[in-house]
Amino acid sequence: MNNNNFGIYIHIPFCMSKCAYCSFVSKRANEAEIKEYFKHLNRQIKQESNKFKNRHITSIYFGGGTPSFVDSRYIVEVMEHLNNFYNLANDCEITIECNPCSITEQKLNDYKKSGINRISFGVQSLSDECLQIIGRKHNAKQAILAVELAKKCGFENISADLLIGIPNQTSSMLLRDVKMLVGAGVKHISAYMLMLEEGTRLYEAVCINKSISIANDDECVNMYNCAYTLLKKEGYNRYEISNFARAGYECKHNINYWQSGEYVGFGLSAYSFYDNKRIDGFNKFDDYYSFVTQGIPAESFECLNKKQQIEETLMLGLRLQKGISLKSLLNLGYDILSEKQEVISLYIKNQIIQIEDGYLKVADNMFGATNQIILNLLP
Amino acid sequence: MASRQKHIRNFCIVAHIDHGKSTLADRLIEKTGTVSSRDMSEQLLDSMELEKERGITIKLTPTRMFYTKDGVEYTLNLIDTPGHVDFTYEVSRSLAACEGAILIVDASQGVEAQTLANAYLAIDNNLEILPVINKIDLPSANIEKAKAEIEDVIGVPADLAPCISAKDGINIEQVLDQIIENVPCPNGDENAPLKALIFDSYYDNFKGAVCFVRIFDGSCKIGDKILMMQTGKTYEVTEVGVFTPNMKPCNILQAGDVGYICASIKNLLDTKVGDTITNAITPTAERLAGYKEVQPVVFSGIFLVDGSKYGDLKDALEKLKLNDASLTFSPEVSKALGFGFRCGFLGLLHMDIITERLEREFNLDIITTAPSVSYNVYKTNGDCLEVSNPSVLPPVAEIDRMEEPMVKLSVFTPPEYVGAIMELCQDKRGVYKDLQYLDKQRVRLEYVIPLGEIIYDFFDSLKSRTKGYASLDYEIIGFEKSDLVKLDILLNGEPCDALSLITHREKAYARGRGIAEKLKKVIPRQMFEVPIQACIGGKIIARETISALRKDVLAKCYGGDITRKRKLLEKQKEGKKRMRKIGSIELPSEAFMSILKTNDDEE
Repeated sequence: MNNNNFGIYIHIPFCMSKCAYCSFVSKRANEAEIKEYFKHLNRQIKQESNKFKNRHITSIYFGGGTPSFVDSRYIVEVMEHLNNFYNLANDCEITIECNPCSITEQKLNDYKKSGINRISFGVQSLSDECLQIIGRKHNAKQAILAVELAKKCGFENISADLLIGIPNQTSSMLLRDVKMLVGAGVKHISAYMLMLEEGTRLYEAVCINKSISIANDDECVNMYNCAYTLLKKEGYNRYEISNFARAGYECKHNINYWQSGEYVGFGLSAYSFYDNKRIDGFNKFDDYYSFVTQGIPAESFECLNKKQQIEETLMLGLRLQKGISLKSLLNLGYDILSEKQEVISLYIKNQIIQIEDGYLKVADNMFGATNQIILNLLP
Repeated sequence: MASRQKHIRNFCIVAHIDHGKSTLADRLIEKTGTVSSRDMSEQLLDSMELEKERGITIKLTPTRMFYTKDGVEYTLNLIDTPGHVDFTYEVSRSLAACEGAILIVDASQGVEAQTLANAYLAIDNNLEILPVINKIDLPSANIEKAKAEIEDVIGVPADLAPCISAKDGINIEQVLDQIIENVPCPNGDENAPLKALIFDSYYDNFKGAVCFVRIFDGSCKIGDKILMMQTGKTYEVTEVGVFTPNMKPCNILQAGDVGYICASIKNLLDTKVGDTITNAITPTAERLAGYKEVQPVVFSGIFLVDGSKYGDLKDALEKLKLNDASLTFSPEVSKALGFGFRCGFLGLLHMDIITERLEREFNLDIITTAPSVSYNVYKTNGDCLEVSNPSVLPPVAEIDRMEEPMVKLSVFTPPEYVGAIMELCQDKRGVYKDLQYLDKQRVRLEYVIPLGEIIYDFFDSLKSRTKGYASLDYEIIGFEKSDLVKLDILLNGEPCDALSLITHREKAYARGRGIAEKLKKVIPRQMFEVPIQACIGGKIIARETISALRKDVLAKCYGGDITRKRKLLEKQKEGKKRMRKIGSIELPSEAFMSILKTNDDEE
């Protein structure tokens, strides 16, 4: 554990429809199913609270699925449970992922009242053509209106997700999207490269039917670099490979993941990490329900040994601009500077990595090779 | 002549690959009740797992059978033979142990290159040839055509040839009857000094090297002092026996018999195939003719993905060598691949078999370098070297001239592919010798061609240009002067010795370019831009560049599922262990073999 933060992740596995690139656990559901799910979710939140009595909760994150798809009273009820049974820090960052087309003024007001203070919009693109290809149900106009609406309802900490590498997307389209979001006043932008996951509609279209072609690695990196340059100019710092924020608006919840911090996940397919144990989520509703009501099946978990802890520290920490603290590696028994002396000096010489103030970090223009760098620095 | 020899028939089966040799052998064993059907496993004589899988016979296993015809019991000794060109010498020694040969021809395919090559070998050994038409059950069978081809192409009467289906067990008795009627019985002198031919040998952990022999004259029993006429070594016989097909000890082996001899022989190299065994006290005056030292013709470096297992590789090669005297190996050090062995093989199939056995039976992850032939290098100071490893070729200034091994190649093909084959042979520096129409559907082409070209994607090119219809056979006929150069590959400016090869000057440019292009495809992007250069004597003839890695980032950690990501990372790390580091470049082990597959269609 690298810090004293503790996060809570709440998974809402419902969506209006499945996006073409999505491989996460989510489904369309009727009201009865949604009600059933929240009944179990709240029960789990309550019944596990004993374990976390002494934890100071520094961030909460509603992810999905589409948390904004369900009636806001469900979210409010979850927030009430969290407030009642957990010790939330005064400055606790509480995020909810929202889809621009399922958000309403009333929902936003309810969120605000319940204590939620950060909205993350799944914008993905502001080109209607791109949105259609990836199967998103909203359009560009709705996305900008949703941001405006959130501001109107008193949200200041607003994030937007963008996808890079959508079929037919160009650098100028991406730059236009970034400019519009900056103009709309979002404080945080996540720019992810599109990954083709097996089993998704897009994977099938691109890899099997070959009916759609996607940008190659070089084109993706070029687009990414364009966005990076513009965001930097606009005052957004890239604090993590894919995340850009104005000062003070970095996402605490995600930083906690990257710093190997602790968190507990509630709901279907929600993962936890505390007491050096990584606990898997359940992927089936029935399994999850019988776990909540009867404790069967048992959770599957893995206690991390030293080597795994080091691996995770490197894998997660090197994504951050700040890099990883050499001291935290030493505490795990990994003297990386002497054990990887040859690689490190080669990398420093070639300006691939830097060591500053006791932190080892990937050079700004080498972020694209982070995975290879990590692999070469593993014990 | 003793009457016992009248009831012995020693025969073998020769065929082109896949014409059904092993299946017929199994049927004969079954029909004669040699092995109870309970113990019959498919293709009994192919004892190695690999042989069963590939459906080809590598190692010979003799069998003794009993068959009663007209109330008389006969002993039939079947000596199975490998059908591949790599093992021609072994075939010839097996043939020399027999008086007759069953020549199988596939009714749907007719006479093929190795049918002819093996039939000629049998004729050279004065064997009685019994043609058999197999696979008559196939819809495409054309018995008359097959018979006509046997008569026209091989020149053996085929009108009485049994038409069989070994697979379905049809007309197998006819084959047995013809063996007894037509194969001459042995005609040795039982009272003369011992004269036995070693036609195979193998190493047994308890018995030592075991000689498979055909007794021509005299006899051999436990306690006899024997002399290996080629090596001059003497031994005392500890066991003699016959093949049932399992080895079964007996009291004595006499003229006409096929069996085995054990004599506490420590080294398989002392039981050379083709050597004559005689009695050390009363030796025969003259040894059997036709002995030849088997020489490897194809060489390749074998290295390990995990260099620390060098000792395991050495043990494995030594164990394989116990049973395969034709395999040679000596230590080799490569800058790129570390410690390994330079291995010599009888041909590409032999090389394939050995490398596959190393991986399968010894669980070794190996890297093989491009196969090479052995060149004669005449230096300006008058020395002559045999060079089969490009990295030990002397500097150009010290070389006066070089010679490369040549083969006589014969290709059998339907006439429509003649043009394509001629083009291929010319491209491979072949010199046209002859073209013969065997019949309307079959042509035989003869070329003299460098062996070095044959071992470089010739089979694949031939198969693809002829839709698999052509077959080939070759024999080495000697060395010829040739304008050869060493082609080096530089990665990031550094020569990679394991990628060097010796090639003809005219071919060097195309091969260099092909290899550079191929490497660009198989080498993953690195942290830096990596130039790949092909060069001859310092002159760059081709260049490709692998651009630097730009996008290799694991996706975001969604919902905190970090375990999955770590497992992915661990898998990638395992993958990296299979990489070879050349300077600061990581090379996948496939890179070393992939340079072989740059075929001329891409060039």
